[in-house]
Amino acid sequence: MEAVIEVNDLVKEYIIVQKENGLRGALKGLLFPKKKTVRGVDGISFSIAQGEIVGYIGPNGAGKSTTIKMLTGILHPTSGTIKVCGISPQADRKSVVRKLGVVFGQRTQLYWDLRLGESFELLRRIYQIDNSVFEENMAVLTDVLKLEEFIHTPVRQLSLGQRMRGDIAAAMLHSPSILFLDEPTIGLDADAKHAIRHFIKEINRKRGVTVILTTHDLDDVEQLCSRLVVVNHGKVVEDGPMVSLVHKLAPHRLLVVELQQPFHDLEHPSAEIIKQDGLKIWYQFEKSRISAAQLISELSQKLPIQDLSVKEPDIEDAIREVYKTT
Amino acid sequence: MLQAYWYITKMRLITSLTYRFEVFASVGTNLILMLASVFLWKAAYGNGTEQVQALTLQDLTTYTILSIMLASVFVCDVQDTIYSKIREGQIVTDFYRPIPLLACYLADDIGGMLSSMVNKVIPLFIFAALFFGVPWPASPLSFLLFIPSCLLSYAILWLLSALIGLIAFWVMELGNMGMVKDSIVRVLSGSIVPLWFFPESIQTISKFLPFQYTYQTPLGIYIGNIGVREGLMAMGIQLIWVVLLYVLLAAGWRRSKSKTLIQGG
Repeated sequence: MEAVIEVNDLVKEYIIVQKENGLRGALKGLLFPKKKTVRGVDGISFSIAQGEIVGYIGPNGAGKSTTIKMLTGILHPTSGTIKVCGISPQADRKSVVRKLGVVFGQRTQLYWDLRLGESFELLRRIYQIDNSVFEENMAVLTDVLKLEEFIHTPVRQLSLGQRMRGDIAAAMLHSPSILFLDEPTIGLDADAKHAIRHFIKEINRKRGVTVILTTHDLDDVEQLCSRLVVVNHGKVVEDGPMVSLVHKLAPHRLLVVELQQPFHDLEHPSAEIIKQDGLKIWYQFEKSRISAAQLISELSQKLPIQDLSVKEPDIEDAIREVYKTT
Repeated sequence: MLQAYWYITKMRLITSLTYRFEVFASVGTNLILMLASVFLWKAAYGNGTEQVQALTLQDLTTYTILSIMLASVFVCDVQDTIYSKIREGQIVTDFYRPIPLLACYLADDIGGMLSSMVNKVIPLFIFAALFFGVPWPASPLSFLLFIPSCLLSYAILWLLSALIGLIAFWVMELGNMGMVKDSIVRVLSGSIVPLWFFPESIQTISKFLPFQYTYQTPLGIYIGNIGVREGLMAMGIQLIWVVLLYVLLAAGWRRSKSKTLIQGG
């Protein structure tokens, strides 16, 4: 497979002015600002082939968004090279962004005062999309993302889930071959998350769109990505197939059980009790050894269970835990 | 591409026309300003102040009315647009579109200008005509010169505004810089009091600054205080300023891109 994105030894340094406390500190900072160079991205390299769905994950401040911004040509790297479809985004931003669809979950590219449909009309003109292509794309997007209910609503009145679907549609109008999604499911309810994941899978399968996804949601990763690139402190710490990495990073799940009345024999051979608080018990178990469904059915046979829930591990915590560098 | 700009202009025009309260507020304040200025000139002339350069009271009334109308037409939101977009980090969404940003902001401001012509200038003109009579130009020819001179004025003002906006790429806390610039423009452009009333030294310095070519030049042409030959020369100077500021902006813009800082995640 041909690489559509090639990143080599990418470095981005920031100069941070350190501020001291109090009035004296403020005055001192005004006269003699204390500057410090911080490496947000510290020698990142990877290459992504056409048609991959890659999860780009790491804790907050690991350098994920900064990398995405350099890939889209918004930021200039301190050193290192980037090639998107063989072109450097810094040298020729306009040609590169024509091939890209970008969604930043925390921002919107839609026009606040316009109706959703009007934002799309504007994008049609900006990207000079042929009418036939535009209508075809609109039909598909409207169908999959269920846009028809709110396409005539001003963007400022949309709910977060609707706005996000609108933003994803906006990013796909010009049939890009690469899609950058920066936390596309942040703050969404289960329904909206499902719709968005379904859409990502569809465009990847049908159109062969390459997807780079940054997220804090383990479900996103497990359901979508075939490959993970894990970053921490501005460095790539892992790069490999999703299944083995998730297992390595987050092998455990938690089952929280609430009992109706106190009970003695709480043990289970494939789960470990890590915490107990009155009638609430926390079981930790390995996904590879026993499925949640099996554990629940075996426990419910002997325990008087009132309520239970399964908790996924927090992938950021796991990354921090596994790749402690400081 | 041109279609995209026109769409931006059109959408701004449409949305601005729907903000009714803003229109009332703006027409109201401008009307008060207009009345106060004209009465001030009346009072000054009534006390036997000697005439400056053969300017009559009628000339100054026309000058003032037109100046206030121009101020509502010359929409230069670009400095605030860039500043707020950088501050909130929203500028990223403009950067990943294959279109020049500044041209989009210009298209947006032109939309604002067109809407102001409809909903601010027309009411102001009607009120002014009712209170002080129709502010006619000195001659048809001076009106013909007035129009292109206004366009050049707008170009100068817009470029100045964009340059101030660019500073936000370097200094995150642009804060009052825009206000300082706006005040300087207001005074030195002769939009409140024509520079002909200022001391000789200020007039001399001001000849080498772009400000007087934004309001005083077109308004002077309109009331006939600047004749045809002088008017054409002044428009030549306007054009030089437009080119100069454009070159400066283009150079600054190219440098700013490598300096871009984005706020937030």
